Amino acid sequence: MSVCPPYAPFFGFAGVASAMIFSTVGAAYGTSKSGIGIAGLGTFKPELIMKSLIPVVMSGIIAVYGLVVSVLIAGGLKPTDYSLYAGFIHLGAGLACGFTGLAAGYAIGYVGDSCVRAYVFESKVFVTMVLILIFGEVLGLYGLIVALIMNSRASEAARCP
Amino acid sequence: MSEQAAAGKLAAQADDAGGVLTKLIITALALGIAPLSSYFLSRDYLWAGNTIYAALTAIFAANLVLVLYIVGAVREESRLRAREKQQSESKKDR
Repeated sequence: MSVCPPYAPFFGFAGVASAMIFSTVGAAYGTSKSGIGIAGLGTFKPELIMKSLIPVVMSGIIAVYGLVVSVLIAGGLKPTDYSLYAGFIHLGAGLACGFTGLAAGYAIGYVGDSCVRAYVFESKVFVTMVLILIFGEVLGLYGLIVALIMNSRASEAARCP
Repeated sequence: MSEQAAAGKLAAQADDAGGVLTKLIITALALGIAPLSSYFLSRDYLWAGNTIYAALTAIFAANLVLVLYIVGAVREESRLRAREKQQSESKKDR
């Protein structure tokens, strides 16, 4: 059992890919689900559209989190002298960011859809909507922080023999 | 008279619609450009290679774009409402 097998970079690249893929799936879900509500609001009160686009912008930020983690992990990949330990760390970091981004995008989608529909009738829902959306986005932020912490440990990997 | 009012309302709506699209395009571009550029620039020039602080700077930049968008949206809505109030008051004066 070698410390630096040749298939170790597979896990590193899988981490990069999963960070981007799953957070983008979450962002797409958030954008599309809240977009349904915004289309409904737009037919009644078009002057409220700018404010109701906030869930869409927040879904974009979830995708940006995945992008930042992908760039971060990809910066630490090496063709040689890459241990399996580093590969697993990068995979874990990518999965942590990706799946929390999926969860955050899911939450933003549902909250954005229903709160934007309620905003047509009651304008005080706006502050509530922003607060709930911030709490939902912070879920993706937690995953990103865990990914950052994990990725910083990859530089401690032993040299390959 | 009502036709003129309707045409005026349509023109105002088209004017606002162009503004919404511009704001959205700017926000989308900023969301893409600001975090990445702040990550690389801060990593090389600010934090001397420390990637954690660079990633935190990128997160801060992304959330700053979001806050600026929210502030812009709220201000535009209050501006629209002030304009509507002004228009209805000028109609009453007539």
